Amino acid sequence: MKYSFITPRPKRFISDEMRLSFFFFAVSIAMVVGTYFFLLYKTVHFKDEHTSFSQTIKDLEASTDVLEKKIAVIDAEVKMHEQIATDNTVLKESIRNLFDLVPDQITLTRAELDEKSLILYGITPTKDTYSFMLQAPLKSIFSRTYTSFYPVENGWYSFVSSNYLDDDANTTEGGNEE
Amino acid sequence: MMGRINNQTLYLILFSTLLLTIIFLFSFFVLIPKGKEYRLLRLESMKEEKVVNQARNDYKATNEKLEKLQKDNAKTIKAYKIPFNPRKFTKAYADEFQNLFLTELSMADENGSFKVYEVNVTTKITSPESFYNFLEKINKSQWIIGVNFPIHFERDGELIKSSFTMKVHNHEEKKEKKED
Repeated sequence: MKYSFITPRPKRFISDEMRLSFFFFAVSIAMVVGTYFFLLYKTVHFKDEHTSFSQTIKDLEASTDVLEKKIAVIDAEVKMHEQIATDNTVLKESIRNLFDLVPDQITLTRAELDEKSLILYGITPTKDTYSFMLQAPLKSIFSRTYTSFYPVENGWYSFVSSNYLDDDANTTEGGNEE
Repeated sequence: MMGRINNQTLYLILFSTLLLTIIFLFSFFVLIPKGKEYRLLRLESMKEEKVVNQARNDYKATNEKLEKLQKDNAKTIKAYKIPFNPRKFTKAYADEFQNLFLTELSMADENGSFKVYEVNVTTKITSPESFYNFLEKINKSQWIIGVNFPIHFERDGELIKSSFTMKVHNHEEKKEKKED
């Protein structure tokens, strides 16, 4: 004989509703803790990245410095080469101009060129030839010009012309000695 | 009659309150400060990434500049590295000079990374034109050579005896060489 219209159910300490509630509680806690661990992981990652970035920047800057030093050396080399080439060309033109100054009547036997001086040794038929044809252009170039003449056997003159360039002198001096 | 709160409902209220309290405390004392730290570090990381990219670009640009400079001036760079060889020099300029004697090779100056060797040259030429040709050719030589004062020319029969000083610039270590 039955006393109830329904089948008796086993009585539980935690009901289905409670279990569902606990499930949601667990999900909520898991989400919050999950977020925390995510942030913790990212924070550690950023800190590692910071160390790595600092090292990378330092390395790149050091490498760039090395390259810049190489560039500076090459620049200096190229400039020096250009300067040397220019000096050689200027020297060539200066010597060419000097020899072009000497007229056919005058024969040079020796020439000593220095940065600030020029000493010429030669033979001239007359003093006037020398004075008009060689001394005049030399005087226009050099600050000081001195000439010594020595008579030679055939009536010509041997001369020594010393010409000096002063740093700040604009005046032209000169003298003849015999 | 007042509704009686059964045990299940009581447990639920208690757990809910406990959960709320835990989450509240955890959020305010742990999660939010961590979030702030994360946000700051993220901003810093972005800035640093920009700096790294800038440094990479600088390095790349400098490297390209160096490569271009090396390519454009390959001959000059090579010339500084070639040690001066008197025998080769004499051979190279045999057309300009009848007799060429290199009487000295010594280190004259050390300017930073450059070393300058001084060479005294005595030679005989047929005309000043040979000397001009030499000065023209020397700018295209395999060495970096500058001709310096004093320069002496002296008539010697049909020839002109000339003597001058040359400075050879290079990066090579000092090498004592005797005249060939």
